Amino acid sequence: MNTVLELRGVGKAFAGVPALRDIHLAVGTSELVALIGPSGSGKSTLLRCCNRLTEPDAGEVVFEGSPVPAGGAELASVRRRMGMVFQAFNLYPHLNALENAALAPRRAAGLSQGEAEGAAREALERVGLGDRTAAMPDELSGGQQQRVAIARALALRPRILLLDEPTSALDPELVGSVLRVIRSLKEDGVAMLIATHEIAFAREAADRIAFLADGEILECGPPEEILDRPKSERLQHFLSRL
Amino acid sequence: MRIFFDPEILAAAWPGIRSGIGVTLGLALSSIAAGVALGLVLATVRALIRGAPLRPVGGLIAGYADVFRAMPPLVLLVVLYFAAPFAGIELSGFMAAFVALGLVLGASAEEIFWAGITSVNRGQWEAALSTGLSRGEAFRRVVLPQAVRLTIPPLTNRAIATGKNTALASVVAVPDVLNQAASVQAQTASPAPLLLAAGVYLALFLPLVRIGRWLETRFHIR
Repeated sequence: MNTVLELRGVGKAFAGVPALRDIHLAVGTSELVALIGPSGSGKSTLLRCCNRLTEPDAGEVVFEGSPVPAGGAELASVRRRMGMVFQAFNLYPHLNALENAALAPRRAAGLSQGEAEGAAREALERVGLGDRTAAMPDELSGGQQQRVAIARALALRPRILLLDEPTSALDPELVGSVLRVIRSLKEDGVAMLIATHEIAFAREAADRIAFLADGEILECGPPEEILDRPKSERLQHFLSRL
Repeated sequence: MRIFFDPEILAAAWPGIRSGIGVTLGLALSSIAAGVALGLVLATVRALIRGAPLRPVGGLIAGYADVFRAMPPLVLLVVLYFAAPFAGIELSGFMAAFVALGLVLGASAEEIFWAGITSVNRGQWEAALSTGLSRGEAFRRVVLPQAVRLTIPPLTNRAIATGKNTALASVVAVPDVLNQAASVQAQTASPAPLLLAAGVYLALFLPLVRIGRWLETRFHIR
């Protein structure tokens, strides 16, 4: 299995307080890796360091064999191929679902308007919203909004998706629809790195789970190993409180 | 009553006031357009500059905005018209008024656009950048359209104020509505031309105020 994304010794501190320490983690083609851990353990920071929305202080992030460039058009090109989904959706409220998903294909990837809309429509169909292309974000439920956000990332045909607690802002009855989409993407072989509190989902869908605490990966391995035979006290404690 | 609405004097004053309407409208529209454009350009520059070498530019823009929001437009106007010639800058009354009103509106407009831009959620920038849009494209396609919605009501108010302030130009001999009325009033010693001028200003700006009200409800943020 080829590696799509690899973090090598990544570290980050905010105002002197360490948020990530010496992170080593690799995600292979069509692999789903789940990040679990308490709030504030560094899951979001780890994801944001991958596409340099947060600038790491130490280490390096390697994407498809090359370090992620520091800025400019080279970084933008890497970001296109590394889709990101946010906890708060961050849809563009002034654009409808199709326009949300077509904007980057048109303006970042340079497709024609027709091609961009085609890619956007296809991505919306893939998340089950092919019939809501004209809907404005505030006309959609939270679950539908998050699926539009996933489609916005998918429309660029990324090599990996970074998902930052994609269901944490949703009402419980809407969580399932988003997780179903993520599962179907996994079946299609999309590589994913997902921060989540949905332990049952991680157990069933993830190839590997990494447990973060205080900015460090304490354990990483297949779900049954991490969830059923936790070694560290921190992980045992974390799992016992779920 | 006749003293205020003397038909003969009104008839004598009307041709001058009518030509003044063109001057007032021309000055109002040009200084509003220039001021809004100036404010938008400065706020855009302020939003897009990054990195240490350019940082003072943001401070300069903020400084300009503060100074010209503190400056009474009438004072700026008489300085430009009466004092600038001593520095070798000769401006016609119209140009002095255009520059003064444009600079003052530009300062308010910059602050209004800037407030709109900074009130757009950071997540919008991040989502746009995460899809590989450049900062410029993210600003133009994602941030600015949302900022402008927040900007419309206060900006409309400032634009109307600028339009009304064109009457200040009458003190530097610009033949606008008020100037024309005042000269007939000086000749005839009758208040009627001034009342006619007041009516003309209402006719010009009341519709603008109404349009502003409509825009305010139209762009009300949900």
